[in-house]
Amino acid sequence: MKKIILLTMSALMCASTFGQAKKPTIMVVPSDRYCVERGCSITYNDNGTETTLPDYKKTMQNDSDIRLVISKMSGIMSDRNFPLKDLEQELRNASQESAETKLISGADGGSIAESPIDVLKRTAKADIILDLDVTVNKRGPKKYVTFILNAIDAYTGKNIASSSGAGRPSSSAAPDLLLEEAVLSHMDEFIGRLQNHFDDMFANGREVKVMIKMFNSADMTFSETFPTEDGDIELGDIIEDWMADNCVSGRFSLSDASDNFQKYEQVRIPMMYKRNGRDRAMDTKTFVTNLKKHLAEAPYLIDSKVYVRGLGEAWLIIGEN
Amino acid sequence: MKKILSLIMLAVIAVCVNAQSKNKVRKIEYNSAYNYEVVSLSVGVDGTKLVKVYGYGRKPEDAVRNAKELGVACALFRGFPAGADGSVATTPAIVKDPSEPAKHQDYFNKFFATGGQYLQYVNASSDGMPTDRVKVNKKTYKVGVTLSIAYDELRKEMERQGIARALNSGF
Repeated sequence: MKKIILLTMSALMCASTFGQAKKPTIMVVPSDRYCVERGCSITYNDNGTETTLPDYKKTMQNDSDIRLVISKMSGIMSDRNFPLKDLEQELRNASQESAETKLISGADGGSIAESPIDVLKRTAKADIILDLDVTVNKRGPKKYVTFILNAIDAYTGKNIASSSGAGRPSSSAAPDLLLEEAVLSHMDEFIGRLQNHFDDMFANGREVKVMIKMFNSADMTFSETFPTEDGDIELGDIIEDWMADNCVSGRFSLSDASDNFQKYEQVRIPMMYKRNGRDRAMDTKTFVTNLKKHLAEAPYLIDSKVYVRGLGEAWLIIGEN
Repeated sequence: MKKILSLIMLAVIAVCVNAQSKNKVRKIEYNSAYNYEVVSLSVGVDGTKLVKVYGYGRKPEDAVRNAKELGVACALFRGFPAGADGSVATTPAIVKDPSEPAKHQDYFNKFFATGGQYLQYVNASSDGMPTDRVKVNKKTYKVGVTLSIAYDELRKEMERQGIARALNSGF
């Protein structure tokens, strides 16, 4: 009897483990304006145009205000069982990983294979960026804080939650106390909106971006026709039909296209799919890999390669494996 | 003379009917599940909300008790409005699904019973009887009480009971 109970419990635990959707990673990043205003930026000449970029490392090393705000926000998010990725630690990890990759060698002197793309991808990144801007302002002898927090989906570029406002002016409170007050004041509203986004995600599918491109070695374009049961259909339309069949409620938008590329936005992919009778979490890589498999079948027999840009964006490049 | 008397009688009846209907409206409003008179005062310490809630009762003590109950109910089902000067942002309701209260009616009846669990999540932040009180009619006092609501603890309790969704649920 005990064995049966134990087996039932372990089966239930397995089911709950496999029934979880992919959790997006979240990271707080100071806004460009904040970094530039505090002198933490890099300016370079980009083909005659002077370009200024934020220097996050310098900001995190020199600015105690932003560290205080991020720390407070991290504490609140951890309390909600949604710990944030730490920007400072991510930057440190990226440079550490880079150094270690260069130094590791095998017994026969082989080093770790790394393409320029792998190097490019080794940066601090997250699925949802919390773009944070705080300013301590003065009005006469009083100080007050302006707080702006936007959650941006790193793949769709959409603002999925936000909260902003100016705090109550005070002549006695220290700036760090005002900053703490601003975080406490806005976080519940912000998390409420983030929760609405997640609820929408579970109800209508995760919104992602899919790009279909062509290798220049491919001997076809999206206008190439293939024989199907419904007559000859162009490759572009075959892909569009597959998207309509596989997106949640057929929701997607072909925002741009030519003979050499198709750009699908607002693609709603299911959160879960069945594999070997179990629920598995779906991400864009799995979704696009299914499209790749569809195109590899007869009558199309098309080779393609999946390139992953993260949890919410993947490319399918047609023409080669 | 008769005419004058009948006119006076009619006027008196009209006034009485009007007063009665006003009382009826007031009674309905007191008992309404949506009638919260709440003002966000300032940012509370970690995990709490500092609000002023108006309660009604036959005695001022009853009105304070009613205000505490309304304060917790407001955090659960409606959320708190933003502060008047914008210094406090809106606080969302903990229970977002409007069908949840009906589904868990037994739980909430017990939760909001006299001396029930709701008292664990609310504190009057001033000593003695609040001075902000008005006698709205012969039988009713309206009292404004400054309360500290343990919002985070209340949210966690609702998540434990499966009434509210946690931020990480489903992931």
